[in-house]
Amino acid sequence: MKLPKYPLKAEKSLMVFEFTSEGPKGKIKKLVKYSETNLKDLYNLAFGDKDNVTGEINDSTISNNGDSDMVLATVVATVYAFTDKYPDSWVFATGSTKARTRLYRIGISKYLLEIKRDFQVFGLKDEEWEPFEKDVVYEAFLVKRK
Amino acid sequence: MNIKELNSKKTPIVTIDKSLEKFKKQPLFQDKVDKANEILRNVGLPKKKKHYS
Repeated sequence: MKLPKYPLKAEKSLMVFEFTSEGPKGKIKKLVKYSETNLKDLYNLAFGDKDNVTGEINDSTISNNGDSDMVLATVVATVYAFTDKYPDSWVFATGSTKARTRLYRIGISKYLLEIKRDFQVFGLKDEEWEPFEKDVVYEAFLVKRK
Repeated sequence: MNIKELNSKKTPIVTIDKSLEKFKKQPLFQDKVDKANEILRNVGLPKKKKHYS
């Protein structure tokens, strides 16, 4: 996916990434974290804004920096980096609100053909995983590198 | 790998930053991890089918 992305930093195990969003609201540091879950080789993907003063991470703030496509493309880039290092891993993601989950769904739908070249993509609907399809409302997402 | 090949790869170039190590141990986004675990406890992984593309 040759979309503009922000430069990425990470710690050596590639479980934590950082990048800086730039837009009308200035520079906003974003943190992406892959967390272990109770299922082996399944990781939760979450990301949020890093407070410049306190260093605290918040995934519920709405920064509205005018670059959501670039932010999502950068987060997707971390999925490539993470699954390159951990090829047997599953990556789970959902939004902190329904609106955010919808935003992620729209992002996946927009680039679905390309994403499906490299990943199996599933959406959660009515407590079942199904292969991701456009225009279907899902509660969560799961991907695995092919 | 030359620059052209690097630019065509989907895997990004990542700069290693030791200052991010501390976030690895912090329980960040714990509510989302808890939600993921709850979902996964009820639903598990996708059922294996032959025709996944």
